[in-house]
Amino acid sequence: MHKFRFHIPFSPVSLAAGTVVVLAVVYIGMIAMVMSYAALTIEFTQSVKSDEASLAVLESQYLSGVAQIESVDYRTIGYAAPVAQIFVPAASMTALR
Amino acid sequence: MRAQFRFRIRLVLAGIVLAACIVLVRLYFIQIVHGADYAEKADRQFASGSSGLFDRGNIYFTDKNGTNISAATLATGFLVAINPQTLQDPEAAYTAIAAVASSTVTHDSFIASAAKKSQVYVEVAHHVPDAQGQALAALDIPGVQVLRERWRYYPGGTLASQSIGIVSYGSGDSLIGQTGLEAQYDGTLSRSGDSLYKNFFAELFSNVGNLLVNAKDAREGDIVTTIEPEVQTRLDHDLAEVNKRYSSKESGGIIMDPSTGAIIAFGSYPTYDGNDLQSVNPKVLGNPFVESVHEFGSIMKPLTMTSGLDAGVITPETTYNDTGCITVSTRKICNWDHKARGVIPMQQIILQSLNVGASWVATQLGQEKFRGYFTTLFGQKTGIDLPYEGHALLSNLSTTQQVNFDNMSFGQGIAVTPIQMIRALGAIANGGVMVQPHLVSAIRLDSGIERSLDWSQKVPVFSAIAARETTQMMTALVDQKLENGKAIIPTMSVAAKTGTAQLTDGHGGYYDNRYFHSFVGFFPSYSPRFIILLYTNDPQNVEFASETLDSTFLDLVHFLIDYYQVPPDRGLSAQSGTASTTSL
Repeated sequence: MHKFRFHIPFSPVSLAAGTVVVLAVVYIGMIAMVMSYAALTIEFTQSVKSDEASLAVLESQYLSGVAQIESVDYRTIGYAAPVAQIFVPAASMTALR
Repeated sequence: MRAQFRFRIRLVLAGIVLAACIVLVRLYFIQIVHGADYAEKADRQFASGSSGLFDRGNIYFTDKNGTNISAATLATGFLVAINPQTLQDPEAAYTAIAAVASSTVTHDSFIASAAKKSQVYVEVAHHVPDAQGQALAALDIPGVQVLRERWRYYPGGTLASQSIGIVSYGSGDSLIGQTGLEAQYDGTLSRSGDSLYKNFFAELFSNVGNLLVNAKDAREGDIVTTIEPEVQTRLDHDLAEVNKRYSSKESGGIIMDPSTGAIIAFGSYPTYDGNDLQSVNPKVLGNPFVESVHEFGSIMKPLTMTSGLDAGVITPETTYNDTGCITVSTRKICNWDHKARGVIPMQQIILQSLNVGASWVATQLGQEKFRGYFTTLFGQKTGIDLPYEGHALLSNLSTTQQVNFDNMSFGQGIAVTPIQMIRALGAIANGGVMVQPHLVSAIRLDSGIERSLDWSQKVPVFSAIAARETTQMMTALVDQKLENGKAIIPTMSVAAKTGTAQLTDGHGGYYDNRYFHSFVGFFPSYSPRFIILLYTNDPQNVEFASETLDSTFLDLVHFLIDYYQVPPDRGLSAQSGTASTTSL
């Protein structure tokens, strides 16, 4: 009776060693990728926060500008209240086309 | 030989597996079981600002076009720290630091910090602007660290500060919202503090669920308020003017959409700048609109009148005999000028602000109905989205003495919060229905979803007819009485009522010469877009609210008409296409 024997052309130790090497490379690659991703995320987050802070400065200037306008008495800088206000019926949107 | 080789292979494999298991278990204990302890230890060893970089959601104003403008956001800059053990030349270091942060670090305090040779980390300057911080870092001074820092910043400064609130350290070591919207929406605005260093192993094993559904995304975000920054600025400016002119103890004002309860402006004076908390008087940190109660005086009369009309005990044509003064339960109640008017219709009670007339309506209404209406109006909190909302003082409603009801009919002996007052008066403007006042319209989650908040809860109090009849009386007051009829706007109906209440002396009585002035109005009268409540507490050398607040009210009305381009509701020519002129 012929006994069947499965024959592989290379050593199991070589296969395991090769697999370990591949897994190690993949693992290191994944760590590098995750670290790069984390670094980029932090960088982008900081960039967004910096932009928001710059925007806040502009908003602050806008709001202080509004406050300054509100606090100015227009009569003291040479303007006078209009003597009358005329209400004109609005033209229809279709008439503008 | 082969069996021996196989055994060795298995032995090596078992060794590797065992080592892997040991490493795995060790990692589990280090990163999961004791992870927090190690992180804390790391923080102590490396006192780096980066690990605790402050983060918090934004609060936005919404302008009339729907554009959001930051009310509270984050500023980014640097903090400067020194290591006294490695700092070689303190004087030179101070000179360099003072050049970028002269306002936050003094020479003496810096030298004292540099002398602490037992310490390795002392913070000497905060909130250094970005450019200056980077310039200082570029100098690379030995013993000087320049670390990234973020802090809460309010671009509007004092603008709506008591509504926006503040963040500060509570009982713990983290910054949390303490007052205003910062406290009310702290759960949405606070961030869970992801540090810059990720615990990948722990993430892998303990936060797998976050890959599918991140609970933070459903909770954390920004909030969008209904406050309009330009209207708020105008209100703040006007209130400051009133307060300074009459040396009042305090002044306040609310502008609200009576049909939705959306608060457009919420101003008070004195106030504070949230960016400069060190110089803030703690007494002004609270929100007077929800925490303080006042006896508002005659602006209560429209509510008494509407209650009488709604109950059917009076009609606008009903008359009564005004004798100038009446005696109820041995207490004398008089009109503001002690003069009798004779037989007059109901409208005159509002037009001439007659206490005797309001008392007469309360008597016609009866105690039970009066109690019912006023309990509905003021018996509950408004539910506004601000913390520490107080209750009205309604103990007189529980009594049976008619004099108490008579007093309440014209706003004495009943103390309510300003937000309760505008909500109740808003029922007259809104067809008899009270709405829920609110400051926040939506939450913009970090996930990108904007969630509108539901403020649709309504409380019907009066019939629409009763509300309209009172509105007609209040409109007549503006057209005929306010500033002797000069306040009339021919193209815009405006309803209003003034109120002057005597201040309590703290001993069960009232001062004869100290007052609380209030003013309420809404327009256009029969389809109002805005209701305005103003008050000033204890103004000096002036007796009546019509003297202190009418010009402020009219200024706000004209400003709102122009700013929102509110179309005229009367006074236009019947012929289409012709123009109408309003004298100013």
